[in-house]
Amino acid sequence: MKRMLTREMAAQRHESLSRRQVLRGLGASIALPTLMSASPAFANSASKKVPTRMAFVYVPNGAIPAAWWPAGEGGADFALSPTLAPLVNVRKSLQVISGLDCVSAEAGPDGAGDHARAGGTFLTGVRIKKTAGSDIKAGVSLDQVVANEMGHKTRFASLELTCDVVRKSGECDSGYACAYEYNLSWTSPNQPLAPENNPQFAFERLFGEGARHERVANLKRRESEQHSILDYVLEDAKSLDAKLDGRDRQKLDQYLTSVREIEQRIAVSRTMPVANPDVDAPAGVPANYSDHVALMYDMLLLAFQTDSTRIGTLLVAREGSNRPFNDIGISSGHHDLTHHKNNPEIIEKVKLIDRWYIEHLAAFLEKMDKTEEADGQSLLHHSMILYGSGNADGNRHTHVNLPLVLAGAGGGAFKPGRYIKARSQPLPNLFLSMADAMGTNIPSHGDSTGRFTA
Amino acid sequence: LIEGQELVYSTIRAIHGAPSTRARFAIALGLMSAALFSAPAPSGTLTEKASAEKSPVGVYQSSVLPILEDHCYECHGDGHDKGKVAFDRLETDDQILKTDLWLRVLLNTRAGLMPAERKPRLSAPEQATLENWIKYDVFGIDPASPDPGRVTVRRLNRVEYRNTVKDLLGVDYNTDHEFPPDDSGFGFDNIGDALTVSPMLMEKYVAAAQSVIAQAVPLEPRKPAQNVVPGVAFNGTNARSKWERRQLIFSEPANVAATYHSVLPGTYRVTLELEVNGSYNPDPGRARVVSRVDGKEFMNQEFGYFDEKTFTFETTQKWTAGEHTFSVALEPTAPSGKKETIVDLFVKNVTIEGPLEKEHWVAAENYDRFFARAIPKTRKEQRAYATELLTSFAERAYRRPLRDEDTGARLAALAEATYTQKGNTFQQGVAHAMAAVLASPRFLFRLEAPASKALDTRFAEVDECSLASRLSYFLWSTMPDAELMALAERGQLRANLDAQVRRMLADPRADQLARNFTGQWLQARDVEGIASNPRDIILRDAGEEAILGDLFAAWKAQDEKTAKELAARMDAIVDTRPELTKDVRSAMREETEKYFAWVMRENRPITEFIESNYTFVNEDLAKYYGIANVQGEEMRRITLPKDSPRGGMLTQGSALLVTSNPDRTSPVKRGLFVLANFLGTPPPPPPANVPALEASDAPHNGVQPLLRDVLKVHRESPMCASCHNRMDPIGLAFENFNGVGLWRDTERKQSIAADGSLITGETFHSVTELKRILVTGHRQDFYRTLTAKLLTYATGRGMEFYDVETIDRIVKGLDDNDGQFSALLMGVIESAPFQKMRTQATMTVAN
Repeated sequence: MKRMLTREMAAQRHESLSRRQVLRGLGASIALPTLMSASPAFANSASKKVPTRMAFVYVPNGAIPAAWWPAGEGGADFALSPTLAPLVNVRKSLQVISGLDCVSAEAGPDGAGDHARAGGTFLTGVRIKKTAGSDIKAGVSLDQVVANEMGHKTRFASLELTCDVVRKSGECDSGYACAYEYNLSWTSPNQPLAPENNPQFAFERLFGEGARHERVANLKRRESEQHSILDYVLEDAKSLDAKLDGRDRQKLDQYLTSVREIEQRIAVSRTMPVANPDVDAPAGVPANYSDHVALMYDMLLLAFQTDSTRIGTLLVAREGSNRPFNDIGISSGHHDLTHHKNNPEIIEKVKLIDRWYIEHLAAFLEKMDKTEEADGQSLLHHSMILYGSGNADGNRHTHVNLPLVLAGAGGGAFKPGRYIKARSQPLPNLFLSMADAMGTNIPSHGDSTGRFTA
Repeated sequence: LIEGQELVYSTIRAIHGAPSTRARFAIALGLMSAALFSAPAPSGTLTEKASAEKSPVGVYQSSVLPILEDHCYECHGDGHDKGKVAFDRLETDDQILKTDLWLRVLLNTRAGLMPAERKPRLSAPEQATLENWIKYDVFGIDPASPDPGRVTVRRLNRVEYRNTVKDLLGVDYNTDHEFPPDDSGFGFDNIGDALTVSPMLMEKYVAAAQSVIAQAVPLEPRKPAQNVVPGVAFNGTNARSKWERRQLIFSEPANVAATYHSVLPGTYRVTLELEVNGSYNPDPGRARVVSRVDGKEFMNQEFGYFDEKTFTFETTQKWTAGEHTFSVALEPTAPSGKKETIVDLFVKNVTIEGPLEKEHWVAAENYDRFFARAIPKTRKEQRAYATELLTSFAERAYRRPLRDEDTGARLAALAEATYTQKGNTFQQGVAHAMAAVLASPRFLFRLEAPASKALDTRFAEVDECSLASRLSYFLWSTMPDAELMALAERGQLRANLDAQVRRMLADPRADQLARNFTGQWLQARDVEGIASNPRDIILRDAGEEAILGDLFAAWKAQDEKTAKELAARMDAIVDTRPELTKDVRSAMREETEKYFAWVMRENRPITEFIESNYTFVNEDLAKYYGIANVQGEEMRRITLPKDSPRGGMLTQGSALLVTSNPDRTSPVKRGLFVLANFLGTPPPPPPANVPALEASDAPHNGVQPLLRDVLKVHRESPMCASCHNRMDPIGLAFENFNGVGLWRDTERKQSIAADGSLITGETFHSVTELKRILVTGHRQDFYRTLTAKLLTYATGRGMEFYDVETIDRIVKGLDDNDGQFSALLMGVIESAPFQKMRTQATMTVAN
């Protein structure tokens, strides 16, 4: 497969409404460079048991329900809806699941702020505290709960990615701190895990810096240099620890746990081979959003292929994002458009955006599907990729019957290729079932009421 | 600071009334013996407070309740509970003394929002009785010693980190690129509670520490000589200049060269640095660039559009002594999308290192700064030297002296563990320990300590080192400089506060306050990156939006002929307006920053943030605004034409752009922007499940409606009206400025009316009249709002109810000083939250 440097790709880019781009945007297949070929996954060939992977991919502002949900009563012989149509090549690996709710994201006593709540609640399952910044409180996100149980089995306990580079200044949604919108993963109720937005840095963190043949050595050298610095600052931090109170102690705890986690990673790294995928590192953040999204999916793919981690989150855009999509002729902002007031012309535009996001998911899932594991099954078979939004209908800010797709069979735990019209239940119920498939046993999460049942 | 225009800080009077002089003020501060502000004259309610029946609840029953009954019960009593507020249902003491309820009462009555429209206001004495009861009884504020509040320890944000590392080590580490964006709170990214650390960020801190130290600290006393030939030394065909740099453009063949004289023969490393810098909108133009040394080609590459990217090319040359020539030739390969390409190739410089042969090495620059003495021979002496070096470095990095601590010894041990390893040098060991300093929590967090003498059991002044950091991070977004630290260590900073603040403001580093504060208060930071589609906006003004849909349809149908015709028509309309280039966007940001800096340094009245007859432009921005006779790239202050609507920050490009949607203006966003950032009365967000309107945009009788007409829906719905009657008229006053900040007379070919009225009754017919109303009838609201914003930024925490007192005093100071900026700034700096800390549950440093 032809590999192209991002630098060159960006150089060829031309955002004005050119014919090539319009066609490209409309076309069913987006010609994107891939960082992998359909080769077997790199690691885990030694162990017989193929590990299960889990990722959560978040898109903002919900989806137009009528175009999202397949027709019919569900079951195996469902037809893909217009929005989900790009997933046709991986249809057999999908579970389109209705009936899942984030009721903790509803207004309740907290009033406005559905976007902040949709984002902050999605993986935590809790009602986030309404504060503009003084006492942020969400909950531990599901990916981190699972990472705490099994993160030591891979070089990275988890991987957090985003495609948001530039942030809006000033205040965020309706009296909620910005942290709720820009972070999916929370390692404690007050410590979000800021995601990486630069594919180059994500790559170098996983595989080392420099030329292909030097990467592993560079990574090892860096780790050993860092080791003694980390030892030192850990001591330093402990000497402060005794003198702190309350929220100051909380901040220092964040520092301490971060240092310890890196130390653990270095220790784990010494016992595990570092994969060196046969591709060049991306050259920074592409100028074009579409390329950026594709590359971040590729980073997730590489991390899973190399078994560098088994748990990932990808915030494709923060909740409430108001990005225009000039590539497909949409010059208004996404969020503005989702408040369409049932104007059919505007609804059509939102559908195009919903579909644009799905096209990127499809490209990623197809690559997952083409990656063969040691047991002959695909990487997708051994994974669970939950894609969706904490908002259901962006026009009305609803949080029940969320637009969600679960791709992959979790190594056999799920039977995909179905449209499941489940009874109404909390989204964390599905999380618990996914966590079970990861081999953990988590009693409850957020507002869960039990395991997922159709 | 412009020479000859001495700041008039001496006009600042102590914030409270009496002719207390600054000198007396300073002495009081120096002795740390007095509260920062003299107490206000006790109000009637306060003097009577002693007696038992005049308990807070007693006062409520006797003095406050009658006012509420007269003015508020129509909606909030006698069975009414509009907005879920019913005063007649307050029964228990706890219910009566609820702070959040009374904070709302205070804000709403002061802003004139309550009593509601067309109901009689509270009389001045009634308002005073109410306010005093709220402040001193409900909030329990002790006017003699207001609560400084609690600041959670602040991590350096990425701006502060970058500036600090630059001041500490002279290395510019691009944290915007390397670190993830910081979470913000209360609208600012320097809020202690909102700034967190994650394992990824910690990894980046360690890597940054290593990288910065590697760049800053020379490990050898001698190294190859290094010389730089600047880009401007390159001359030849089509050698243009921009930003005082050598500029070639992609659409024009160019060939430029420079020479360098090598004194010694030997091996040289030659590094060429080029930068491709396109305008904000990508351009398809491409160019091939060839570079030669002494006529020999060593680089040949085709370049396309980049927003801003540096490329380096290196070659090693065997040279004789004498003249050597470098050349850069550019040949266009693909045509630009415009008449003239908007992509530049900057020749940044050529760096020549050599001779590389060791015998020709020269003394390493900066080596003496880090290693002033020869490295001792014995292990013991080496350790002592390492301790000395690292203690002094750590003291600067931690921004306070290390007293009674083993930090120096521990760092020296870390250095020793490295330099005693085989193949390592002493310098490497010390550098390694210096990297550890930069990864320490004491560098990354701003740890604060109380002064040794507490003022009372609850609050203490922060010690002078903490104060030095508070000042420098507030005014400069960086660490204190040597002068501040020296004063703080001697305990002389408070005694010289005024002079130091004056010195700091005159320093170019104070531009950081202008940049980082306005960047967030007015979102001026966002103007360079915000998604905007000028094409759609301009077509809308011309009433030709339909072209876009038609064009898209033609492309979809692959009807190239129609598409071309439509595109030409579109271009003809769009080209009638100036282009929103990257340079224009940058100039917009700078305009806002320079404007703020001017008011700050010239001590102008802060009402000029809203209304004035001047602004800052360069040639690009002046053309964009339609202002004649401005030439050159540098931003300068100009007096605006008499009838110009541009004076003040509200009508600057940055504010107009960041309050627009990508394809049109948003009067609601603009109204909210003014209410939230200038008047301090943002309406509550829309209730859940009410679609944010503005979308009922369907043609009416075949005519596309104006936004003004679309927004009428708000006024017709009682649920929307209560808030939108506050926002929409303000936003609509700006409708003559389109979504990219250009003046327009029409929207959808129909003329625009800017008149309206505020919820408080004032009417206006233009944005200029609106500004006048804001700086007259709403001056107090603006003073309070800006004070709260600046205090939030300065203290790193959100405002709490007890801060009302501090804010009121600063506002009083502004009132007494014609709104001069110094009254605001010194008011903030001298306030309890800035000067003091709570003694319980506070961070103390390890000494």
